[in-house]
Amino acid sequence: MKLKKESIGYVIVFTFVVCSAFVVLLAAANQITLPRVKANQSYASHYAVLKALDLAGPETSKAEVESTYSSQVKELPEPAPGMAAYGSTIDGAAYVAVKITNPGLWGPITAILAADPKAERIRGLEMLDQQETPGLGGRIGEAWFTDQFKGEKVGSDGKVTVAQGSGKGDPDKENSKVDAITGASRTSDFVQTLVAKALATVKEIGGSL
Amino acid sequence: MSPARKIMKDGLWTNNPIFVQVLGICSTLAVTNNLRNTLIMVLGVTFATAMGSWTLSLLKDLIPRKVRMIVQVLVLSFYVIIIDILLRAYQPAISKQLGPYVGLIITNCILMGRAEAFAAANKPGASFIDGIANGLGYGWVLVCIAVIREFFGFGSFFGIKFMGEGFTPWTIMVMAPSAFFLVAMALWAANTYKAKAEAKKKGTK
Repeated sequence: MKLKKESIGYVIVFTFVVCSAFVVLLAAANQITLPRVKANQSYASHYAVLKALDLAGPETSKAEVESTYSSQVKELPEPAPGMAAYGSTIDGAAYVAVKITNPGLWGPITAILAADPKAERIRGLEMLDQQETPGLGGRIGEAWFTDQFKGEKVGSDGKVTVAQGSGKGDPDKENSKVDAITGASRTSDFVQTLVAKALATVKEIGGSL
Repeated sequence: MSPARKIMKDGLWTNNPIFVQVLGICSTLAVTNNLRNTLIMVLGVTFATAMGSWTLSLLKDLIPRKVRMIVQVLVLSFYVIIIDILLRAYQPAISKQLGPYVGLIITNCILMGRAEAFAAANKPGASFIDGIANGLGYGWVLVCIAVIREFFGFGSFFGIKFMGEGFTPWTIMVMAPSAFFLVAMALWAANTYKAKAEAKKKGTK
């Protein structure tokens, strides 16, 4: 019997079968790789916390990251749903790090910010997840940008301004200001809001420690 | 010329996806400001086009005409998501770097273009080679543009800086507009050369 390829019945059955087959394959691939993906994500999160606390860098090995994390970082109770907080004592000084998700230009930006418990000086900032415009706003993940926050003094209004500068990074750690990214002023604004929010959370947690 | 060689030559030059078909321009604008992202994009597109064309060619006698585009999108996005899943599981660093780029492969018109123009009427093996040829044809043009953009935009090559401190990066090269005029210049150069070569051929006949 020759199949009537253009009949409604065949079209519906064919579409249904093909869609199901490919979706099942994708779901299987997703399930099989899930434990690996989860492990990767938890490693990425641990690494970002250490990076924000300035306890790890690009040359730190995977095993070192995990051992430093378990020995140096204490996970604190969640300050709010979807957030996470970490405490650490480095060279006798206490630090608080928070994981925060805030809106960006195209999607949420997730970052980890570490500061002293009074939120007077930033210890470090590390981007964990962002979907900003590649090559423009996407550069907020690059070291030259995040390194500007290292040791930056927080302004009396609890803010660090992200504003246009030379575009090469602002070396002054006392002016509570970092250079924005040329061509990505909206993303820079979002980072400024995210940092201010994170600092407020650090202060809150630090006050109750 | 053997059929396989002809398909290769078509994809790489005679019927180059960028120069002649003018497909996949969107990604040309997005990823060519650094070489590493460009190469990964090229590999992704080549893999998805080749595997997608191969699968669609296998299924072509079963696909009703009314829903062929739906099936094409389904199969192509299947391979794109597979790439995304594999990268996330086995190359998390690259996956994080690329972020939205991988998903963007599906919006590359080369995939649908080849499925519709070639795989729908040719054998699976030939369609596979056609996918590879078009992916590479797209790739070499992109790599050339990326070399120029990364060189002037960042003063680097594969992220390795080799211009001195005194070098002022051309910000325009990092941004999309530079891709517009570089692609346009490349198109112009390639088509002028092609027209001249053809005129010469006709003259000698």
